[in-house]
Amino acid sequence: MHRSPLLATLTAIALAALCSGQQTGLGISPTVIAGAEISIPAPGTGEATFYLASAAHVAKRKLSLGQPIRLSGQDLSIAGRYVAILCAGSCRSQAFFVTPAAPASLSFVVHPSRAWIGREGAISGVALPFDKFHNLVQDPVNVDFSIVAGGSKLYSASAPSRRGIAWFRAASGSKAGAAQLTASAGTVSARRALQLVASDPCRLQIRATPAPKGVAVETEPIHDCSGNAIPDGTIVTFTANGADGISTVDAPVKHGVARALLASSGNVVITAASGVVMGNELRMSVKP
Amino acid sequence: MNVLDWLRRWTVPALAMCCLLGSAAAQETPAVKFVSTAAGPRPMEEQTARSVVRDYGEAWRALAEASKQSRPDLLGPYFVGAARESLSQGLKNQQKNGMRTRYLNQAHSLEALFYAPEGDILQLQDTADYQFRVLSDDQVVHDEHIVVRYIVLMTPGADRWVVRQIQAVPAQ
Repeated sequence: MHRSPLLATLTAIALAALCSGQQTGLGISPTVIAGAEISIPAPGTGEATFYLASAAHVAKRKLSLGQPIRLSGQDLSIAGRYVAILCAGSCRSQAFFVTPAAPASLSFVVHPSRAWIGREGAISGVALPFDKFHNLVQDPVNVDFSIVAGGSKLYSASAPSRRGIAWFRAASGSKAGAAQLTASAGTVSARRALQLVASDPCRLQIRATPAPKGVAVETEPIHDCSGNAIPDGTIVTFTANGADGISTVDAPVKHGVARALLASSGNVVITAASGVVMGNELRMSVKP
Repeated sequence: MNVLDWLRRWTVPALAMCCLLGSAAAQETPAVKFVSTAAGPRPMEEQTARSVVRDYGEAWRALAEASKQSRPDLLGPYFVGAARESLSQGLKNQQKNGMRTRYLNQAHSLEALFYAPEGDILQLQDTADYQFRVLSDDQVVHDEHIVVRYIVLMTPGADRWVVRQIQAVPAQ
């Protein structure tokens, strides 16, 4: 909001005038660790009212002066800025900060859940240390990241958190299968799993045999260029170009092999493709 | 007329005017300025920055209104997770104790600190400037002008950015 300078000046003067009887300072440390108990001196005699105000916690107590005011760990569990106010006739106040305690858990966000192998920067993870009250720990914490796939370490690195965040990016390696990702900081750790899947087929070899109503075609077991079996469900497109025209069938890979029946006759040219990979070309004569 | 007489004469009308303006201002979306989009590792698109500014401002408007009325339901869809839980608890405490808090004349300067590789976590630093007022049984017991730094985590929701964590931190 933009106020005019005159209005701002008036506000300041008015508040200064009103608060001229308000003393500041209650002898609280400027920072308190979350969950700690503190005691605030409240000298004097008579009745008073104590207030504690922050966005996450508000409290009000009637008390007798002369006894210290005790704030429990529960009162001060959420990190942030607090104002303590003691009113007995006039009010005294002090602002202080509650800062996060030691890390008690790690939030670990990993992408993706399924990654193609052989890709640079395909896997990324972000770790955020939290204390037991779920405050983000902003002091630097060393976070160790590792990815283990097929019993061997695919990636390992250590990164200091910056304002509560540490992250990594890694290549997806060359072995298909499940991968375990771990982030650890001191005694706390978090685990995630992802599936590394074979990349595009390396080569596509097909064979064909005459069938009662056309040609039965199938691929040889399909692998990527690292020798990993292509995942089931990968689509292979078979095309037969014969006297009857062009016949096309999309067939999913099942147990490493894709199969289809092409309705075609005469002199037929059969091809197959999957993604960017073309298979061999077959020429055969099929009786109608 | 000396200065003290002048203050006595003008304090009440001036304060009344400020309070009226402050009350009206709290219901508007606060001014939010994005001072930098140099966060990494993911570059932030201009449209994303605009959405973040809009939704962060709306979140503070909602917080100001909820605090003014001590109603957690007014936090709306702008806070989720730990932020929603802790702010709701604070508002319930207010209700229970007959207290209210006011965030008046807000201005926010946002700086993006971290934007996750997949765009699903955004960390911001907000230098917030506002008048913080605490009322008990409708009597002002504390009133101060604050400039405070917040570290904020936002994540994308279905149709907006939401505040997942908001933490005031001491000056560096």
